[in-house]
Amino acid sequence: MIDYLVAISLIVGIYAIFSIGLNLEWGFTGLINFGHVGFLAIGAYTTVLMNLSGWPLWISMITGVVLAGFFGLLIGIPTLRLREDYLAIVTIGFSEIVRLFLLNEEWLTRGPMGLFGYERPFESIVPFDYNYFLFILIFGSLLVIYLLVEKLVHSPWGRVLKSIREDEDVPAALGKDVFRYKLQALMIGSAIAGLAGAFLAFNIQYINPRNFIPMETFYAWIIVVLGGSARNKGTIIGAILVQSFYSGSRYLQDFIPLASHQMAALRVIIIGLLLVLLMMYKPQGLLGKKEELTLGQ
Amino acid sequence: MLQLIVNGIVVGSIIALAAIGLTMVYGVLNFANFSHADFLALGAYIAFVLNTVLGINILLSFFIAIAISGALGVLLDFLIWKPMRKKNADLVSLIIISIGLALIVRNGIIFIWGGSTRNFDLPVQKGIEMLGVTVTHNQFIGIGTAILFMVLVHYFLKRTKMGKAMRAISDDINLARVSGIDVDKVIMWMWFLGIGLAGAAGVLYGLETTIRPNMGWFLILPMFAAVILGGIGNPYGAMVGGMVIGLSQELSMLILPSEYKMGVSLAIMILVLLVKPEGLFKGTKA
Repeated sequence: MIDYLVAISLIVGIYAIFSIGLNLEWGFTGLINFGHVGFLAIGAYTTVLMNLSGWPLWISMITGVVLAGFFGLLIGIPTLRLREDYLAIVTIGFSEIVRLFLLNEEWLTRGPMGLFGYERPFESIVPFDYNYFLFILIFGSLLVIYLLVEKLVHSPWGRVLKSIREDEDVPAALGKDVFRYKLQALMIGSAIAGLAGAFLAFNIQYINPRNFIPMETFYAWIIVVLGGSARNKGTIIGAILVQSFYSGSRYLQDFIPLASHQMAALRVIIIGLLLVLLMMYKPQGLLGKKEELTLGQ
Repeated sequence: MLQLIVNGIVVGSIIALAAIGLTMVYGVLNFANFSHADFLALGAYIAFVLNTVLGINILLSFFIAIAISGALGVLLDFLIWKPMRKKNADLVSLIIISIGLALIVRNGIIFIWGGSTRNFDLPVQKGIEMLGVTVTHNQFIGIGTAILFMVLVHYFLKRTKMGKAMRAISDDINLARVSGIDVDKVIMWMWFLGIGLAGAAGVLYGLETTIRPNMGWFLILPMFAAVILGGIGNPYGAMVGGMVIGLSQELSMLILPSEYKMGVSLAIMILVLLVKPEGLFKGTKA
């Protein structure tokens, strides 16, 4: 039982880190990133590929995180000066291209066969069940990221982000370089997704392109929206809720007379419905404050 | 090479047809509707049921599918978009609602019909060979119907009162309102037209390829690329944009593996955003 809870918690922790990255972009800055999973994939594959070709794990991880942030920069440059929805369109395409690349460039990624047999941090010296160590590592990192992001968003820099979200003409009129702030938020958010990707690789020990389907992005979206955009605590709670829903529906599967593909489809339908209803009636999320996020409503 | 051009024109005209509705909604309601492509798939499935389960002939199925798709567009306007308009909702919330809707539609299709590919119940007909190029029967129908529909849309927009009203609200919604146009009614018909055309494009695409739940998903990027290339809100721009995207996707196979077709749309879009973000033609929004 405790082993099962630890295993579930690892997934919650990884989604929470992944979603805090999105929350910085969407919740605090109002950037619509529909391709967040692309940065997760870059973090995971870079870490694994570099490690497999002989680089020390920590250098591989850092490179993965930096590369994910760098791709955030590349995506941001053509889109962030323009209207909000261009970022949404370009990121959704970008994440699919990343996935198609991973799937088709077999010389590099082994395509659909995936990658395994890579190192995990301190695996050879941890004297107890490795999942327990991973639990400490992931939740320790979650805590550090949470505190760092909280510090950032409560700094003058973070206040500019929120003012961009509410009405970007105001900070622009005050002489802030709005484009630069947005770019920084997207880069940091993407780098955080990259780190989540490395942890994902450590947890599942075998990565392949199927781990990075577009739906992963929308799990992060429902986590952020449910927990209340611009609230990192809410995001963590959102991750717990969504994972409970996921595990719970798997458990219920034995009692519901539906085929497994129907059950999977139903799960996504519920998530989509929740997204629609929340944005229609409670855009600040279940736990968010109405004063915090107005979205013009 | 010639074969690729023919295929490009077929796919291009289908993208163009679907992009008309996307660009009109984008221009008038000012948001990128991410569910548009999934209504394309839904249209194909509706026609599939009519054609194979109910045994209705494909032409009639095609028109009924357009009507049902259009009606769904109107229904969603009543349920979602109109209340959001009344609330004066921010465009970002509309975008997120539309992606939620996209998930519902696509997975609704999987829930009902499963994930496997389907085909219309049609006799297999031999393609016609000309100048060393094979054009299948369905491709002829696809190009012909798409072009016919585009001409009809042109006449509708230029000659009818409703069409002129649509162009008017697309130019300036407030100006249209004060000059006595019933904006809500026009928007309702715009949804009917837009989603109806998406459904039509879906049936044609299903004829050209196969019917599968994610057939819309893989067209979403080409469609947006067509819309942005043609200038947001400009239906003629979307038609030209669709053709350009369709042709460049197919021609890209000369130098790129076909898996990266989608990347061509992305590259064109990024190029347009960098060089000429307002698109090639005059749009209503920049």
